[in-house]
Amino acid sequence: MSPLILTLKKRLVTRVDLSSLTPDRLNGLNVNAIKALKLDYSGKQIAITELFDVTGDDTDSIHFRRSSRAFTKIGYAMTKGSIEVRGHAGDYLGQKMSGGRINARGEAGNWLANKMSGGRIDISGNVADFAGAALPDETQGMSDGIVTIRGNAGDRIGDRMRRGLIIVLGNAGDFTGSRMIAGTIIILGKSGHQTGYGMKRGTIILGKKPQKLLATFNSCGKLKMEFLRVFYKQIANIGRRFAHFKDFSPEVHRYAGDSSAGGKGEILIMLHAT
Amino acid sequence: MKIKSTEIVDTFAEAFKMWASRIIITAQTSDWALAAARSMTGFATSVIGCKCEAGIERQITADSSPDKRPGVSVLLFAMDSESLGKRLVERIGQCVMTCPTTACYNGLQSEHSVVVGGQLRYFGDGFQISKKLNDRRYWRIPVMDGEFLVDEKFNVQAAVGGGNILLLGKDMNTTLRAVKAAVKAMREVEGIILPFPDGVVRSGSKIGSKYKALIASTNDAYCPTLRAVRQDTSLAADVNCVLEIVIDGLDEAAVREAMRRGLYAAAKPGIRQITAGNYGGDLGQFKIDLHSLVDGQ
Repeated sequence: MSPLILTLKKRLVTRVDLSSLTPDRLNGLNVNAIKALKLDYSGKQIAITELFDVTGDDTDSIHFRRSSRAFTKIGYAMTKGSIEVRGHAGDYLGQKMSGGRINARGEAGNWLANKMSGGRIDISGNVADFAGAALPDETQGMSDGIVTIRGNAGDRIGDRMRRGLIIVLGNAGDFTGSRMIAGTIIILGKSGHQTGYGMKRGTIILGKKPQKLLATFNSCGKLKMEFLRVFYKQIANIGRRFAHFKDFSPEVHRYAGDSSAGGKGEILIMLHAT
Repeated sequence: MKIKSTEIVDTFAEAFKMWASRIIITAQTSDWALAAARSMTGFATSVIGCKCEAGIERQITADSSPDKRPGVSVLLFAMDSESLGKRLVERIGQCVMTCPTTACYNGLQSEHSVVVGGQLRYFGDGFQISKKLNDRRYWRIPVMDGEFLVDEKFNVQAAVGGGNILLLGKDMNTTLRAVKAAVKAMREVEGIILPFPDGVVRSGSKIGSKYKALIASTNDAYCPTLRAVRQDTSLAADVNCVLEIVIDGLDEAAVREAMRRGLYAAAKPGIRQITAGNYGGDLGQFKIDLHSLVDGQ
């Protein structure tokens, strides 16, 4: 079997919802059945073959080629298998995902990993705002799983995040971990303003000291946090690009906060990031 | 049958089904890890009096430990998984969490588990923090030197307890030398512990007593001082000291291998016989025949 490859063949003028093209939803369909599927596009239903060249037959391994920022909901509610995206992965990538793996070789839009509860998403480029965050009408964002971002991330990463791990190797925007309930966010680059705003619990690990922290975060001093040894070692094992985590020191400057929301969260600023 | 000049008695060790866990203790230095491990395995020689049996399995280098610090692997055995869970909570809470710089991890792969860190977390009085990665949850409990990190669950598995050999020597010094050599050889086997002091027990027991309150009493058939008053003594005229090594293991194969190595290491001039303790074969689930351990048998 070869991966099911969907190559975009026209320029999109409006968004197209790809939530139906996941390993779960395509399970058991042959190529002809897949080619007979229809997608919502520009206010009407059109055949999938009007947008994509379809080749391959392995629905457990789906590849989107020449992907567009007009795509939305790739990997929606997927529980298994893998999806690879070449190009821009659009908004809502991995929304409600509970298993499997998405590998985006490019950028991703807003609301990455919204309501994600398992599995893993790797982004090789930048992502826009609200990665792992809750939608305005939701009480919780991402509740488990791993998201890695090699580039930079926008604002409000992990807003109301409940559990799981987000790693950003680049920089992050403002309000990282705002209203966070639990979980872990690691930013190795620079972080923006208002980091940890309103966080109740959870851990934000920063590779670089921010210019300013909120007044509602109070220093606990420079400490060796032993759990970081285990944490870094496990992260080093999730992929070659993270192997350098094994060399990180557990020594951090710990700030407890946000004291306006109970103060049981923490911002850990690495002292010897390499 | 003989190994060198030592007779291997045609008998068997009677061992029992137990439940076991492996606890990995790490610390800033191997000394602190050992301190915690020694404390945790103290007063854990026999389930009869201590509710569990425990011992240090081996030391772990920083390279192979969960958190890149030196550590110690401890095995702890109890008669059932529920009791094992209670002992783990007690001993990790009192002996490991209390020891400076330590962290404590599950070291066993098994489908059965008991909640340990999930109980100890309450010591954190609401300030405890959980961290989950790869389906494994840890608890960070704030303590006066920083945090105590402990796995939420420790795996447990069915195991074998009570494998044993008895060394019958011509005198105390000879028997002590032989038993030390045997312990050293047996401790090379992974997955076993020798729960008694430095691996050796001199107060072997038999089931029952003339006193109704006691379920076990001295193994008078092997006491040299009683040779003249016990009609059915097991000691020949030239045997004046008997020492026993008890072995608990994660499986029967490990116990057998430890016993085999013990036989060969202990078979020295002056050790007249090596035998094993049993209860007629009616109580234990495992019968380990000594002759089957001798090479070529």
